[in-house]
Amino acid sequence: MENTTFPGVEVLNKPVDSGTILSLLLILIGAYLLTRLITSILIWVSERAGKHRITVKMVIPLFKFSIYGIAIYYILKSILSLSSYQLTAFLGLLGAAIGFGLKDLFADVIGGLLLIFEKPYQVGDKVKIGDYYGEVSDIGILSTRLITPDDNLVSVPNYLIFTQAVASANAGSPEMMVVMDLFIDPDSDAELAMRILKEAVVTSKYVYISKKRPFTVILEDYPFYRRLRAKAYVYDLRYEFEFKSEVTRRTWKEYSKKGIKAPKVTVMGEKTMS
Amino acid sequence: MDITLLKKNSAEIIGFKDEIERIREAITDFESGQKEDIAIISEPFAGRTTLVNAIEKMTAHKVVKRSFPSIVKNKEELMFPERPKRIVVIDNCHFLYLRAIGGFDILEEFLQSVVSSNNLFITTWNLYSWNYLDDVINIGQFFPIPLMLPKFTLSELKELILSGYKEDELEFLDDVTSEDKRIINSFRYPVTIKRLKKTITIPFLKINFDRLRFRLSRKEEKKKAEDIIFEMINRFSNGNPGVAKVLWEKSLEHPIIKPSYVKESSFKIALDYTESFILYIILSMESLNKEDLVEITGELKVDKILYRLSQQGLITVDQGYYKIRPEALNSLVDYLKKSKVIW
Repeated sequence: MENTTFPGVEVLNKPVDSGTILSLLLILIGAYLLTRLITSILIWVSERAGKHRITVKMVIPLFKFSIYGIAIYYILKSILSLSSYQLTAFLGLLGAAIGFGLKDLFADVIGGLLLIFEKPYQVGDKVKIGDYYGEVSDIGILSTRLITPDDNLVSVPNYLIFTQAVASANAGSPEMMVVMDLFIDPDSDAELAMRILKEAVVTSKYVYISKKRPFTVILEDYPFYRRLRAKAYVYDLRYEFEFKSEVTRRTWKEYSKKGIKAPKVTVMGEKTMS
Repeated sequence: MDITLLKKNSAEIIGFKDEIERIREAITDFESGQKEDIAIISEPFAGRTTLVNAIEKMTAHKVVKRSFPSIVKNKEELMFPERPKRIVVIDNCHFLYLRAIGGFDILEEFLQSVVSSNNLFITTWNLYSWNYLDDVINIGQFFPIPLMLPKFTLSELKELILSGYKEDELEFLDDVTSEDKRIINSFRYPVTIKRLKKTITIPFLKINFDRLRFRLSRKEEKKKAEDIIFEMINRFSNGNPGVAKVLWEKSLEHPIIKPSYVKESSFKIALDYTESFILYIILSMESLNKEDLVEITGELKVDKILYRLSQQGLITVDQGYYKIRPEALNSLVDYLKKSKVIW
């Protein structure tokens, strides 16, 4: 039988020596350490950058993908010295692997790339992805990490951006809108209640108001109560709940002074004490 | 702080030429039937009060003047003898509100009287209070002529400071050493590594921007000690006349002053958010007592916060009223802007 060889195949047929494996591992470890170092430095800088915190954090995923991209390119090109035939064969194998079992992994990587260029959310944003809500602490190659209000670290696969609606509360700004609802008895003075709520919002230490970031107070009537809804921006999304709590506490303190009452509980059509 | 901005042996004021001209025009228009109320807005120590005092002198027979020294809590304090077609000058209008629930009632009453009166109102406001009120209640719509007081120029500051002294009373000495004249100097910066409990020194190069500027302007040889001193004061005070005067007084060892005596006050500001907010409130109100602060912030820890602010050299207390230290003004404004407490 005639022995047919293709250019470059002899390299593939050779066993990969320990030196190549060591170089490969060193490059991957180096890339990992470099991303960790850059991420740590950028997080340290961003936490001291005041209002530019989110802008600084935005570049972290870009650095990560660039470093890993360069590392993989270097491994393929310089360490393994793949020719164009071998590269084609490698890509063929990769395609098969993706088709058989690694498609989710591949979707995560593509999702990560999309997150960098499309920016539906960024590191530092408050987002809701599927059932999870929290501050984006990291956008990795495969997953996005969220810190929930209960301080849980949740890893959400990047491919979810293809299948789930993603809501970003602040879209890259440190300030974000907070919606606060208060319910009062229909017999209470609604105009006074609105005025107090408005003043509680605009005098809060956490509020942020500008021509582009206005505030509003809305009154809505329901059968057994009235709902007052305040919409205003908190100056830093990390204070979302403190803002809500501070406004609610101060408003109710003032309501009790002015005789504005909470709705009475209705049981079988009869009003009882609140 | 009421600073004297009058020229030597004269009733004429130093600086604010364009602003005075604009006020004169508004008064002329008012006399011919067109009322456009004025808001004079500035940072603390920038000379608002002196400016309105000069306006009062300019138009003495037509003016009713009122100055609020602290937060106005009774509507009766707003009562003016109603005479038609008068000029009403009101200094420190930021004392008409309190950043608390129910704290806008007096201001609203005042704004109502501004729009319903046929008098011309010339009012002064703290810049940070004005910006806040403009965002919250759009106060700018009540005052068609807002005048932001500009920074003093170098020559204005020099004239202002020297107006308090006789000719040849002061002695300006040049003591800039050869090291100070270098453009690049090397320093060693100490860094403490907490985990190792060790302090190491890192060498670094520092550019002497003063010298670089002098070299680039090619005036180095002509520069006199006097010019160097006033340039330093102008830069450190950021053109604020009140801050410049304080810096001058701290630097002068009468009758001698040298460039090495003029030191930029440096502040290591490290505050949490509530402390920053209280500092911002003092900056925007200029003078507040503890009760006002408790009413604004609702904080029971106000004593502790005020102690921390005093300890860092940012505020002073004068007869129970807390005020910003003039030398700290620029540093703390930069800090509050960076931490976004100032919007």
